[in-house]
Amino acid sequence: MILREFSLEGKLAIVAGNGRGWGNYLAIALAEAGADIVIAAPGGKGIEETAKKVRKMGRRALAISTDIAKSSEVEEMVERAISEFGKIDILVNSPDLEFARPFLEVSDEEWDQVMNINLRSVFLCTRAVGKHMLERKTGRVINVVPGLAVRGLSNCTAYCAAKGGVLQLTKALSQEWARGNIRVNAIGHGWFSEEERSEEEQLKDPLVRYIPLRRLGRPRDLSGLVVLLASDACDYINGQVLFADGGVLAHV
Amino acid sequence: MILEDLNLEGKVAVITGGGTGLGKAMSHALAGAGADVVVAARRVGPIEETASEVRGMGRRALAISTDVADSQQVERMVERAISELGKVDILINNAGIGGEQVTKPIWEITDEEWRIGIDTNLTGAFYCSRAVGRHMVERGSGRVINISSGYGLRGGRDNFMYCCAKAGVVLLTRSLALTWARDGVRVNCIVPGFFATVPLDRPEIRQYIESTARFNPMGRVGEPGDVGPLAVFLASEASDYVTGEIFCIDGGGLAGGYTPTGYAPIIPLKG
Repeated sequence: MILREFSLEGKLAIVAGNGRGWGNYLAIALAEAGADIVIAAPGGKGIEETAKKVRKMGRRALAISTDIAKSSEVEEMVERAISEFGKIDILVNSPDLEFARPFLEVSDEEWDQVMNINLRSVFLCTRAVGKHMLERKTGRVINVVPGLAVRGLSNCTAYCAAKGGVLQLTKALSQEWARGNIRVNAIGHGWFSEEERSEEEQLKDPLVRYIPLRRLGRPRDLSGLVVLLASDACDYINGQVLFADGGVLAHV
Repeated sequence: MILEDLNLEGKVAVITGGGTGLGKAMSHALAGAGADVVVAARRVGPIEETASEVRGMGRRALAISTDVADSQQVERMVERAISELGKVDILINNAGIGGEQVTKPIWEITDEEWRIGIDTNLTGAFYCSRAVGRHMVERGSGRVINISSGYGLRGGRDNFMYCCAKAGVVLLTRSLALTWARDGVRVNCIVPGFFATVPLDRPEIRQYIESTARFNPMGRVGEPGDVGPLAVFLASEASDYVTGEIFCIDGGGLAGGYTPTGYAPIIPLKG
């Protein structure tokens, strides 16, 4: 028996990213719960393949090649999504550009690039979709962040600053749009791997031994959280970051 | 399929404080997702009522009168739950007293009042986790959901036992999560903000709720039903990689720091 509140049938979700990280998996999870999907990322086989998988599940899907750090492309993508599907109920921002270098060696260009993909894109996509959501007085925005959004790591200052920025964007916007009936939350992940490796094999890695659940995250591990926050199941959760990280942050 | 992971059919849940408020709502939600439910609390009337509602939904239910601050009663309750329903998959530590009703100047709090406040809100969760935890660890599977409060994370004027005990519940969650991480037991915490869990028939209560709602970013207080699906998620396979985590459900109150600032005035950039 499954509570009907978790169903996303009849809803349209945009999953925006840079083609790396969690975007494709989250799109599949939302489709499993019944949503139609627009997947926006720089072109390539990845997003079209995900769209095909979603269609095979009996849902509508559109892959729109988009440079998510570019205002005009984001605006066009959102307009196209609305003209094809009539509305947008859910926006998932899941860009991820990893970067590590000693702070003194970070160039202006590197800093800008890390900020543009990881933080500016969230601003652009949320602004473009939010206008439409505020008019309809309903919507869910879900930002995807790593553990480095809340804890620090040497050589990762630019990345941490950008991801921490996404969390503060989440909190502040959750206040501004609360009475517009739009919820803004974040979901967090720990270390994860797309490869299927046995837990025994994984434990050779000291990093994995540090994870309380003693395995890396799997692509499906964020599925429950994204459906929880995208659906009508949790209207009263707002401005939060919820982690599925195998217990790593319980140490902190 | 992710929705199938949210199915609780064949699971048995123990919910303390299950006769009223959030506990009753979570009992309904878990039963709605297919779980059998043991409703444990002191007063017989409300737990019998919740249990019969759960049976009305086609699930098995037991009402066991229990004072969670009494470890012997807790042990007996858990033994009976296991002997009658075969196992316990899910424990929700929800019993508690207080919030705003127990505020008092510190010099007026007696030793006994302090003890009762800590025992009911924190020690009870320890007793229940200890009693059910061994069974879960032996089976290599289980879900514990502790109900804390916004007052477990922030201070409250004249609010001592409740704040301290609820903060204790947050760290009980994190330490249990780390302790049982390799035993298949996940432990997480729900932090509710203001919820309307008392009857609104008295005008002063209505007024209090209305003024609280005005200060909430969403403009409303929580309804008990808001918590149900979250409890189902944390009780289910869908949260398999989630442990030691805090789930605030407060309309955005904590994210904004519960300040009555509303919209900031516009401040343009100056060249």
